[in-house]
Amino acid sequence: MYSRVAGEEGKSSIMYDSSPNSYHGMAHLGTCCSGTGTIHLALHKPTDTMVVVKKFYIDDRTPEDYNLVEREIIVTRQLQHPNVLPYLATFVSGHSVCVVSPPMGFGSCQDLIEEHFPVGLPEVAVAFILKDVLQGLEYIHKRGFVHRAIKASHILISSMGQACLSGMRYACEIVKNGRWQKNIYCFPSSTANNLKWLSPELLLQDLHGYNEKSDIYSLGITICELANGVAPFTGVPATLMLTEKVRGRAPHIIDCKLPKHAEHENTNDGDAGSSNSTLAAIGESILEHFSSRKFSESFHSITVQCLHRDPSNRPSTSQLSSHPFFKQCRKSDETVVDIFKSVPKIGRRDVDSAGDYGVAMSAEQLANLDLQSCHWDF
Amino acid sequence: MDNRIAICDPDEDEVNNELFGDIEPVTWVNDDTNYDLDEINMAFHRVDSHQIIYEEKKKKCKLIGKYVMGDLLGEGSYGKVKEMLDSDTLCRRAVKILKKKKLRRIPNGEINVQREIQLLRTLKHKNVIDLVDVLYNDEKEKMYLVMEFCVGGLQDMLESMPHKKFPLWQGHGYFCQLIDGLEYLHSKGIVHKDIKPGNLLLTLDGTLKISDLGVAEALDMFAKDDTCTTGQGSPAFQPPEIANGCETFAGFKVDIWSSGVTLYNITTGEYPFEGDNIYKLYENIGKGEYTIPAEVEDPLKSLLQGMLQKDIDKRFTLQQIRQHPWTICRPPKTLEEVPIPPLRGDEWHTMTVLPYLMEHHYGVDNDPTYYTEHQLNEERKLQEMDRTSGEQKNACNSHYNKHITNHGKRRWRKPTSCISVKKFPSCKPS
Repeated sequence: MYSRVAGEEGKSSIMYDSSPNSYHGMAHLGTCCSGTGTIHLALHKPTDTMVVVKKFYIDDRTPEDYNLVEREIIVTRQLQHPNVLPYLATFVSGHSVCVVSPPMGFGSCQDLIEEHFPVGLPEVAVAFILKDVLQGLEYIHKRGFVHRAIKASHILISSMGQACLSGMRYACEIVKNGRWQKNIYCFPSSTANNLKWLSPELLLQDLHGYNEKSDIYSLGITICELANGVAPFTGVPATLMLTEKVRGRAPHIIDCKLPKHAEHENTNDGDAGSSNSTLAAIGESILEHFSSRKFSESFHSITVQCLHRDPSNRPSTSQLSSHPFFKQCRKSDETVVDIFKSVPKIGRRDVDSAGDYGVAMSAEQLANLDLQSCHWDF
Repeated sequence: MDNRIAICDPDEDEVNNELFGDIEPVTWVNDDTNYDLDEINMAFHRVDSHQIIYEEKKKKCKLIGKYVMGDLLGEGSYGKVKEMLDSDTLCRRAVKILKKKKLRRIPNGEINVQREIQLLRTLKHKNVIDLVDVLYNDEKEKMYLVMEFCVGGLQDMLESMPHKKFPLWQGHGYFCQLIDGLEYLHSKGIVHKDIKPGNLLLTLDGTLKISDLGVAEALDMFAKDDTCTTGQGSPAFQPPEIANGCETFAGFKVDIWSSGVTLYNITTGEYPFEGDNIYKLYENIGKGEYTIPAEVEDPLKSLLQGMLQKDIDKRFTLQQIRQHPWTICRPPKTLEEVPIPPLRGDEWHTMTVLPYLMEHHYGVDNDPTYYTEHQLNEERKLQEMDRTSGEQKNACNSHYNKHITNHGKRRWRKPTSCISVKKFPSCKPS
């Protein structure tokens, strides 16, 4: 089972095979999918290129977890776009299902915020990232999917500064029985981690249903997350988050225009603005930083448009792409790579320095050798 | 005494209503409890309906485990079904609330419930209702079966339409899902025994869910065939072998017959067998003679005939149904889809937990709303008028009006499970 690399950096001719023996190294980078999988950096020996291998240990997982993994692979393999993370190969190794994807040098936007930009990304960086994400999302919508999990942790940045969407396991088909549905109604399962980003109409689960405009709302929440360094409704009980969204209280990006009194509002007085729900999770020094910075008018307006309570009033992906907010991308001298230059990239040295971990991984692989490994072909 | 305000909640079921049966419990607001009984004139007073004042029930947020309680969705044979919201995942749920006290009064009540729980726990299929959680409240002797949320059932949809039937393409969609779910149940060795439109529910996205496994039977793992001995399903959907009182019968073929009656019903708006009472009905079923309306054309007609075969051996199997030309070929979408009827006037079936959450988080609307018995009566009259005028209209417009005029026949179409709860006031010596 061979596959072609989509897009990035002139590698399009490389074929990745699905033999576990072709991959070496396996430096541990972290976990993914709320602990279901582990991420490893690996060397594809036949071509001497770096790849990322996601390992899902299936045996001790619930059928729901397993279905999510299966679904993610099936959906992702159907898509091919420079701004959607591809799976280059999938195979079974021992008790694990492994998927191979290109290394995304800067990791996810959530990691970037957490480790390097606690007060949020600079406006121009958000513009660059958002521009790529919109391309990817437009493609996903055109292919008949609602993503349903747009959030910073599902936006990955390559070492060339290109943003890619991942997290297709929560996606839902718009086409049913060969018909393009005007609305869809199914509530995503295992979605507890994504609730903060979901649109009010999706959360309401009634006969109004929702459509791809639901992703635009999630994009609005993601913009706030990227700009503020923390996702709106962090630390807010899920039920309060629901009523806030239903009442049409949209979060916003926080700068000097933030009304002063908002900081001292009482959360019980029925006017518990969602800005508060963001502020609750933010420290004093960061608040000071917020009140000293200023975002552009178009940045504020694109956020407000995305977070419109009525989905029909939200712009589509193509309408958003021509928003004046993205003018700064052309004017800017900086690129995403310049902005992130202080951020250490994931690279070859991670494999070399894998040390004991690498040994441990090979030991594990040896232990699994006697088990017959079967190929997961579909 | 005349100025008392009665708080009466049509929904509340907490108060001991052992004595009064279905009379609504009443508590008095400004009751001093220590009235001297001798001083009170024990004669009946006539009170004007304007003077009986009710206070509307406050939307008080109530938690059962991690679930927030919502409004009533319907009444099952064992008790109330209410809406709930999972406060972690924000997923809508339905909950069947069962009371031990009530269960004990129903023959096999507790055993049937335990069996249903055990059965549902082992089942997982797109077209079979999913039991999500079971909670117990030992103090109140209540049991909560948390299920997948469904917006409506086929029976309610049929009843909302003048012709009491679906367009062929819509009925076909439901029938195929019924067969999928039934095939799964049978593969697990389970005979449902009560397939009927009333037990076929729909989720928001239109997925059919076979529900109410209260009288279902799980065959012994080592049983050599599907022989059953007891039938407790709804009379109009029973096959001839049960109507004739056979001691044993093939279980799977019972479900096939009931599905046949269901298909007959949802595509024609009529029933193959009717009777003024259960004896006449069973007599008619027992003979196995029925007519298929003239407008039913051939592939469907032969499918119905195959499923409604009096002779068990000639009756179709699920495989034959699957391979039947009518099942394979989806009819064209010609007529408008029958929608899910509104719940208490709400066509969108909005989350009923929402007002409770609003009250909980914002404490809005603290002023109680009052209304009088008189207003309530007026409203009831209006509703009654609406309904009767609607029925008259139906009767005029439809050539199926014999359903509406003949009330005797209609009785047997109601879901009359033998183990349904009857609210009889229990007599106690005073």
